[in-house]
Amino acid sequence: MNVPTRLCFLLVAALAAPRMSAAIEWIDLRGAAPIRGDAATGAAKATVCVACHGPNGNAVVPAFPRLAGQRADYLYWRLANFKRGARPESVMTAQTANLSDADLHDLAAYFAAQTATKSPLPAMPSARGESLFRDGDPARGTPPCQGCHGADARGPADSRFATWPALRGQNADYLAARLKAYRDGKDAVSSNEFVMRGVARSLDDEAIAALAAWLASHSP
Amino acid sequence: MLLSSVALADSGVGVDTWRATKLDPTAGAAVEGCDERGTWWLVPGQRRTPTGNLYPCPPASAPLHERGDWTYSGVLQLGYLGTGGDDDAALWNRYAFWDTGPVLGLLSVDAERAQDGSYAKLRATRVSDDDQYYQLAFGRAGSYRLQASLRDISNVLSANAKSIWNGVGSNTLTLSDGLTPGGSTPEQVAAVSSAAAERTLKVKRSKQVLGYSAYLTPDWSAYADFSNEQRKGARPYGGTFFFNFPFPGNGGVFETVKPIDDSTMNLNAGLRYAGAAWRLDFGYSGSFYRDANRRYTFQTPYALTPVVPNAVSAPLTTGQMSTEPDNDYHNLKAALTRKLPLNGEFSLTASVGRMRQDDTLIAPVDCRGVFGIGLGGSLQLGPHNPFLYDCAQWNTPAALSRKSADMQIDTTLLDARIALQPTADLSVRGGLRFNRDDYRNGYLMRNPLTGQYGYVSENGSQGSVVPGESGIWAPGADARNLTRIRSLPLDLQTIDANLGADWKLGERDTLGATFAFNRYEPTNRERRQVDSSSLKLNWINRSLDWLTLRASLTFLKQTGDRYDYDPYEFTWSSSLPGFIAPPGGVPAHTVEAMRKYDLSSRDQRKANVMATLTPREDMTLTASLRGDWNDYDARIGRQGYSTFGATLQWEWQPTPRTQTSVYYGYDRSRLREANVNELNASGVDPRLGGLTYPLAGRWWVTDTQRNHSAGANLRHDFGRVRLDVDWNNLYARGVTAYSYASSLALAWSDTVPNDAAGSGAFAPMRYRVDTLALALVIPIVERVSLRAFGVYERGRVDDWHYAGFGTGRVIDHRVYTDGGPQDYSAHLVGILLDVQL
Repeated sequence: MNVPTRLCFLLVAALAAPRMSAAIEWIDLRGAAPIRGDAATGAAKATVCVACHGPNGNAVVPAFPRLAGQRADYLYWRLANFKRGARPESVMTAQTANLSDADLHDLAAYFAAQTATKSPLPAMPSARGESLFRDGDPARGTPPCQGCHGADARGPADSRFATWPALRGQNADYLAARLKAYRDGKDAVSSNEFVMRGVARSLDDEAIAALAAWLASHSP
Repeated sequence: MLLSSVALADSGVGVDTWRATKLDPTAGAAVEGCDERGTWWLVPGQRRTPTGNLYPCPPASAPLHERGDWTYSGVLQLGYLGTGGDDDAALWNRYAFWDTGPVLGLLSVDAERAQDGSYAKLRATRVSDDDQYYQLAFGRAGSYRLQASLRDISNVLSANAKSIWNGVGSNTLTLSDGLTPGGSTPEQVAAVSSAAAERTLKVKRSKQVLGYSAYLTPDWSAYADFSNEQRKGARPYGGTFFFNFPFPGNGGVFETVKPIDDSTMNLNAGLRYAGAAWRLDFGYSGSFYRDANRRYTFQTPYALTPVVPNAVSAPLTTGQMSTEPDNDYHNLKAALTRKLPLNGEFSLTASVGRMRQDDTLIAPVDCRGVFGIGLGGSLQLGPHNPFLYDCAQWNTPAALSRKSADMQIDTTLLDARIALQPTADLSVRGGLRFNRDDYRNGYLMRNPLTGQYGYVSENGSQGSVVPGESGIWAPGADARNLTRIRSLPLDLQTIDANLGADWKLGERDTLGATFAFNRYEPTNRERRQVDSSSLKLNWINRSLDWLTLRASLTFLKQTGDRYDYDPYEFTWSSSLPGFIAPPGGVPAHTVEAMRKYDLSSRDQRKANVMATLTPREDMTLTASLRGDWNDYDARIGRQGYSTFGATLQWEWQPTPRTQTSVYYGYDRSRLREANVNELNASGVDPRLGGLTYPLAGRWWVTDTQRNHSAGANLRHDFGRVRLDVDWNNLYARGVTAYSYASSLALAWSDTVPNDAAGSGAFAPMRYRVDTLALALVIPIVERVSLRAFGVYERGRVDDWHYAGFGTGRVIDHRVYTDGGPQDYSAHLVGILLDVQL
């Protein structure tokens, strides 16, 4: 078999071979449309939520996120991903299963409209956490958090980034769990998680704990 | 795609960034598909550059794997390449040297450890022994980076060379069997040339680079780069042994084969500081060129014949050509930048450099016995033979004024710039630059063995044909010889100044103006001072959402002080005491009306217009026009040079799976020159219209070059197979037209029937290359795909310089080695198995 014949044979064999492809399962939140919900309607649907997330969404259990005053777009897309089963099975999967998309909008609007209060949990200021938030760690390739989450950690002012959360005053245990999930690649269902995955991979447990403690030590 | 674009090499300084081969010209970007996720995670639809052009689709990244703390990804492409058609043609193989056999399309491995920012990168590709690249880099983000690479690439200069010499590639060319040094006839030489096997002449470059950079602190960083490049091979080159054109059956004009065996080492090292207010940069760069050969010699097959009766020429049979001298270059640079109020910045750069050549010099001639002319048929040295010279007095380094070059040029540079932005709508800038080149030595060619001056011309052959043209001056019989005796130092100084501003007039318009002044002060040139002033106006308009319009106009005027048409007197023997002027006076070196184009007074106008249209978000149409017109104040010399260019490009990226583009480019240049024939070689009248340069001897040349380039490409992912198609066309046509005042302007006045003015044109020079490249990428299983590709290329070249070579390359005493560019039709097919590791 000469060279051209061999090449043709290989080409035909390749065309005849079965093809496998991988589907993209993540949601693209870049440029997502702004969320519009009815906070009053959402209040009526939030009675179940406050059992864990506290009155008006000011959770006192360290492992649960504080929702009061959080950005509505961020809240909606968190809920939406629970509902579509994109995130690991959890209590939230069942809680969102019977909610409509309009319910999710309303709940997000409701909690975003609530006034966040300072956590009653003891504050643990961390100089290391502050340094990471403001300056990052160039030696480890960690960018400063304030670049995306705002200098005051209340989220970026630019409306194009409405799906990026406020971090100020959030519960430390919850923040630490989320960062570890990003780092370990367990939570990558939207374009935002791809951003955070790259950031969190440069953080070790000590850095995560310091960051979470410093963010939690502030009033919202 | 395969051949659609050529990756650019670096400028030779520092660590190479060129990671591509001709098989993979886009360094992997074209063969790794298109990532539907876009360019970055933060904002969608970042499809356009700030200037409005579509970004190329980002290549899909290979899947990541984890091993311990490290994540890595890799691609391996292995396959086979076959070539056919005229696959030995020089133009087909230039910078590639395609070869049938296995190829490593790409081996790319990237690994990183997120915990501390460590990374390692490996990249390798190999088409053939003459086209391969290997690179390894590792480091830690924010800490250090170490990089090493190897690169081999060949330049094929001729694929159809026929040499009448043995020893091609060495520094000694001896005549092939069947030829007698100094005793062969053109017929014998033609027979040997015709029977010689065609061979390829190429120069292979092998480069090794090593680079290191480190962050010493967050503000301070240091770098050191080293590279070494060897060139080995052979190329067609000259070989002079007295001009043959006006002397049939005499002299020798040869295209010899020059050996290439040299190396260039580059070293760059420095320290940088980047603080909030200050930036500093201290650096050293050095370059060291070494040539294994100082010269090469060639035997001449032909005898020399004197142009005077009852005389005999010396039996010279060996010529020599020097190679490039060894060279050392050092440069020290210091730069500082300081932030200023009003959003400003001031920077100051100072550098000093030294170029030094101190190679051992070669003897003036390579001969035995005598050279020159023996009067009365005698080759015996003595007073009766004033035009005969003793080789023993000239074929040794002892015949030189000094044994080594000992030449040096020192350079000095000062550069200051300032930029301010007092408001958001206004920015101003200014700059001042001073540069000097100082020649630190000269060379006077005086033979201490004989007390004579001058450079022996054309290996001694010229003085062996024409009495008194040996290139040697001495009191006595040679006292009237006009010849070069010393080197020409070309010290210079330049000062550049510029001042400009940009105004943003609302959201839609930006206006800018820049005034620039240049003062050029050369030494030992026709003018001691040349000034040029220019004004550039530019306008950017975005009145329409779908249109960005850029336009600029430049006006430049160059003038200077008095033009001295002959400032070189001191380099000639006529400047020596004892020189005896001929009875009519010292011949004019050139015509008084000549104006060399770099010093000539000149008016220049330039215009540029570029429009970028975005009729749809996924589509761009770009059109540009540019023109450059230069008028020179010269009756003799360059009179005009103009260029005009236009481009049109259409890009469409409807989906990440489909991209297509079409382009067309047109360039035209026109060069007008005027000259005059010297009708009396010993004439002393430099005036245009005088006895030596009469108006009837004038002639004019207009050289017009037109280039057309066009191309189209389509990439589409059908799902089961991805298709890449590229077509590129380049067509260049050059015509040299001439006119003359009378037949006195011609080298061969007897070729026209009368003395009237006339005109004509040489046959057009044409160069046309069409390339069609087709590739199919077929996914087989996850992470494995097959890439089948083919390239067909057709080249057509018309070059009248090589007319008639089909019947032989020996024309009287003129011997050519290279057969010239060939038409060709060649193709390659290949298959690569692409595995994502």
